[in-house]
Amino acid sequence: MTTIQVFDPALCCSTGVCGVETDQALVTFAADVDWAKQNGAHIERFNLAQEPMVFAENARVKGFLERSGQEALPLILIDGEIALAGRYPNREELARWAGLKKVEETKPGACCSGSSCC
Amino acid sequence: MKFLEQAPRFLFFTGKGGVGKTSIACATAIKLAEAGRRVLLVSTDPASNVGQAFGVGIGDKITAIDAVPNLFALEIDPQAAAQAYRDRIVGPVRGKLPDAVVKGIEEQLSGACTTEIAAFDEFTALLTDKAITSGYDHIIFDTAPTGHTIRLLQLPVAWSGFLEAGKGDASCLGPLAGLEKQRAQYSAAVGALADGGRTRLILVARAQNSALCEASRTHEELAAIGLHQQFLVVNGLLPKEEAALDALAAALYAREQAALAATPDALRGLPCDYVPLKPFNLVGLDALRQLLVATPSHIEAAVGEPVELHAPSLSELVDGVAADGHGLVMLMGKGGVGKTTLAAAVAVELAHRGLPVHLTTSDPAAHLAETLHGSLDNLTVSRIDPHAETERYRQEVLRTKGAKLDAQGRALLEEDLRSPCTEEIAVFQAFSRVIREAGEKFVVMDTAPTGHTLLLLDATGAYHREVARMLDAKGAHYTTPMMQLQDARRTKVLLVTLAETTPVLEAANLQADLRRADIEPWAWVINNSVAAARPRSPLLRKRAENELAEMEKVATIHARRYAVVPLLRDEPVGAPRLLELAGHATEPA
Repeated sequence: MTTIQVFDPALCCSTGVCGVETDQALVTFAADVDWAKQNGAHIERFNLAQEPMVFAENARVKGFLERSGQEALPLILIDGEIALAGRYPNREELARWAGLKKVEETKPGACCSGSSCC
Repeated sequence: MKFLEQAPRFLFFTGKGGVGKTSIACATAIKLAEAGRRVLLVSTDPASNVGQAFGVGIGDKITAIDAVPNLFALEIDPQAAAQAYRDRIVGPVRGKLPDAVVKGIEEQLSGACTTEIAAFDEFTALLTDKAITSGYDHIIFDTAPTGHTIRLLQLPVAWSGFLEAGKGDASCLGPLAGLEKQRAQYSAAVGALADGGRTRLILVARAQNSALCEASRTHEELAAIGLHQQFLVVNGLLPKEEAALDALAAALYAREQAALAATPDALRGLPCDYVPLKPFNLVGLDALRQLLVATPSHIEAAVGEPVELHAPSLSELVDGVAADGHGLVMLMGKGGVGKTTLAAAVAVELAHRGLPVHLTTSDPAAHLAETLHGSLDNLTVSRIDPHAETERYRQEVLRTKGAKLDAQGRALLEEDLRSPCTEEIAVFQAFSRVIREAGEKFVVMDTAPTGHTLLLLDATGAYHREVARMLDAKGAHYTTPMMQLQDARRTKVLLVTLAETTPVLEAANLQADLRRADIEPWAWVINNSVAAARPRSPLLRKRAENELAEMEKVATIHARRYAVVPLLRDEPVGAPRLLELAGHATEPA
């Protein structure tokens, strides 16, 4: 099964509430990830401020950080290979990568907000 | 003392810096221990003088106080707890990831929220671990968690949805991800706090409007989340007999009584105790034993000559500010130290010298701004309502960014928007609209963001610096707001404090925080100095003497330059009194 890994920049808050402005891209992406997971996609997210070890231990990510700096995050790996950098993927891209059949508009978070119960 | 009667297992003292929480907590611990109870005193004051008071080194291990049987003490340094937490996260990647990346991560974990939550983490075991708590009848804390921290810990989504599902975590919860304890322990700790049979919260204040208003806000916020067992202690009241001894004491007595008469309604229903001002330092067992004794202390000293003080006045300090002809002047400091009044005094001093000044203030009462507006040539005044600005910002974020969130996500976003950082950002954004005026005239502000907030606002700072370097090479002129604040010729930060231990330490922490953002405070201003007011009454002279050691620390260790502003008999409202405050050609009243 395809594994999608998302390496987020270090943000005090990924909602960006503490920053100059809340980042709509993050709010939207959070909803898209939620949707894709409920449809069976395997997605992992790592926040640089909370799990920096994951960044340091992955040679691809570490090299990317050394070359391009943290300003170039987010970085998205598919099965360990770089797929996208500098922006978050949209719902269609997630669906294509994860091999989900159809992109249907479903209501996210209706039965649970976490990944454990669905 | 009502707050001591039928004391439950947990006692929390809360109040703003300098009101005397630690002294009262120590005195309470002694009293209960001497009544035969086994007591554990937990101090989180980074300037903890608990060890000093008992003549024992304490530190982060539970230590028996030999001088008081049944009394044990523990000192937790919240800054050190936060540092330990940062080290846990950042330590393993140091040297493995680029330095700039490591520095960025550390900054994200350097906010007030991280410190708060790291300190709460340290508390948790003391509230829930039977192996530790069963040995004591009472556990006394000289601080209490804020409503914001407790609410965050109560939100179920804080634990499940956001952290586990990686939906994108929220600011103040970031730290929780790296904390070692389990969710069940945190909910048990919050449960213990909200249990009136086990926990009592004692609000400590002084007889001052600002301190009582702050106590009222804390009371309402914590009552709203279920901490109903609350008591009020008004500390350091000037005794009536003292008022007869000199004019300043009489004025202070009248002012304190007026503040008490105007106690916010929310506090009126609480059981309340009054602790009179003592003529001695609250250090040592004997002094602490006497603190909670209701009978007035006998004052031995007679009326005498004022304490000698040779310190620069605010007016002398403003000479240095005025020399540049224009610029931004920001007054910084903890709430209640008098930033608004001093901002007005600086503005009036500058205007008095014929320099154009725009004073922009968050004065909640508005009377200061109103009395000044139009009263002096060269001076314009504008006012920003911090609550209105913060609310506007919150609503804006919720309307735009929160629109697509589910109920739980929205609850967490709402809680994030109640963080102290949010308020600071909203207010600073409102103020920053007038900052650009500082190119031609003086702009004096009574609000400033912390270094941490500036660094976060400047999250793209590295990028800005890169752009600046490239442009500089081409000889182009380019500045970011951050660069303006870092340039001492354009921006002068005046740190405001009081000549008391905790406020001086808090100001030193603010200074360290600013230095992290490459901003060097230009000067310190010690406000409301009793020594500078030259009192004759014995009690006030004693207080004046106590101030000297703190002033010495400011003058020799902390500040590049400083000024001392006297405590005035009357509230400094209006241009003439503000000039008097600055030490400018005082005329006899």
